[in-house]
Amino acid sequence: MSQPIITAVAGPPGSGKTTWIRQQLAAETCPALYFSPGTGNVPIDQTCIAAEFGQIPTLTDGEESQLLKHLQNGVSAYIELGFYLQLTTVENLLQSFPSRRIAVLPPEIKDTEWHQWGDLIVEGIAVSGEREKLSIWRSPTSGQVLDPASLDLFWYEEMTQGAYGKIHRAKAIFDIADGRSFYFDFAAAFQETAHEEMPLPRWLEGRPQRFSGIEIIGENLDETALGQTLEDCCLSETIMLNYQQQVKQSLLSVEETE
Amino acid sequence: MKIAAMSCIHGNYEALNAVLSDIDEQKADKIFCLGDLVGYGPHPHAVVEMIRSLDIPTCVGCWDEDIVEGLNSCECSYPSVLAEKRGKLAHEWTNSQIFPETREYLATLPHSLREDNMCFVHGSPHSNHEYLLPTMDAFSALERVFSAGADVLFCGHTHVPYVRTLDAGNMQFRVSGPSIEGDKDLSFTAPLKRIVNVGSVGEPRHGRPNATYVIYDVDAQQVMLREVQYDYQATCAAILEKGLPPIFAWRLARGLEYAERADDPTHVCER
Repeated sequence: MSQPIITAVAGPPGSGKTTWIRQQLAAETCPALYFSPGTGNVPIDQTCIAAEFGQIPTLTDGEESQLLKHLQNGVSAYIELGFYLQLTTVENLLQSFPSRRIAVLPPEIKDTEWHQWGDLIVEGIAVSGEREKLSIWRSPTSGQVLDPASLDLFWYEEMTQGAYGKIHRAKAIFDIADGRSFYFDFAAAFQETAHEEMPLPRWLEGRPQRFSGIEIIGENLDETALGQTLEDCCLSETIMLNYQQQVKQSLLSVEETE
Repeated sequence: MKIAAMSCIHGNYEALNAVLSDIDEQKADKIFCLGDLVGYGPHPHAVVEMIRSLDIPTCVGCWDEDIVEGLNSCECSYPSVLAEKRGKLAHEWTNSQIFPETREYLATLPHSLREDNMCFVHGSPHSNHEYLLPTMDAFSALERVFSAGADVLFCGHTHVPYVRTLDAGNMQFRVSGPSIEGDKDLSFTAPLKRIVNVGSVGEPRHGRPNATYVIYDVDAQQVMLREVQYDYQATCAAILEKGLPPIFAWRLARGLEYAERADDPTHVCER
């Protein structure tokens, strides 16, 4: 039997698909890539993986032809299928190349189409929400810089507490006032948000020319209010430039002291 | 003699009614109001009318001041860009709803009120925008009470009630100089002082939607923090009906305050 060249990974939101893929990528000794179709202009996981594994290509929608070329050159592909996609989305590819199907599922879920679909079931973590009721809201925020105090209010006090609908999962990458970029990850099953600084240089010269954005999965999402509130968290050009100037001066004085 | 002290009604007529009924039950002899009659809530005019009709001595709050003078506070009014945008939206809405006679009444409100050894202010004796948080250092807190010339200072503005007793006010200092022979050691012991924050009637921030105020027994010098349930859902419905942001209703129902929060006890407003 030939070595699988495509590993397709599916499961409910928050079950740990991306985490499992990251573990595999970290252990990969052969050339590999990551592709998550259907994420449109909000490629959060791609951005995180690209930052973590600089040598691994990450592909987004519209780059399918590159995917084919890589596969033909023997590069292994990890394809993540979000819950919002049909499991047959990449079936043609899976039929055309040696492949395996991994379903990352929490133990409490039984007899789903993911079980039927997977060659291998990997035990994932607890999730919340019924798939049929879930909707997804995404918004790119590239070029915007967020006020940290406003972000705290929006994320911790309101959004994750249900002010804009019942949230099951939320992921985001935001540029904040001091030039750093942060990744936020909320899972309702655990009622907590993990956040970490992205391994990227501070952006202190005008509007950041790099990706940032948010993806929320939940029920009865008030998309208009979400969009408006997020917009209200952003700094004006003048204040953003003022912050950048202050941070640059502060960093300079630290360097001089050292 | 028992007095009732309340603050920060913020256009919440339902909450005000419930608190006035509770004050009646507590048999308070006199009521004092520490300002912020308007702002955020859906019934600014009705609240002012009620306070006026009952002839309740009232000092001016920062929101009342903003309606009279326009927005001119320093950045301390808003701890975040989001809070600032919401606050300005609420200000513009309130400003558009206020009747001229209501505005005129707000313009007559004094900065502070006195009754025997008690002083009543909205924020602090220095500014309606200053937060006397319970974490403020004792020296500054004592200074605020002294500057009011009172033994008990009643305030609001933070929307979270508390009682702080300042009973260890002792200062020792040494004076020296060319015209003084040797060093001169002096000490000063402050008499017992109190700060009583009366919480908020219409916009609580203690994690529950209930209104809070204070009953003070002047003779026994006892403070009773009162928490009063009211039909907050009626206020939430009015917020939506009047076209105010739905997030105000969501926050009110959870005792989160509409938008502002005090987070820097060391800041002195530059207004």
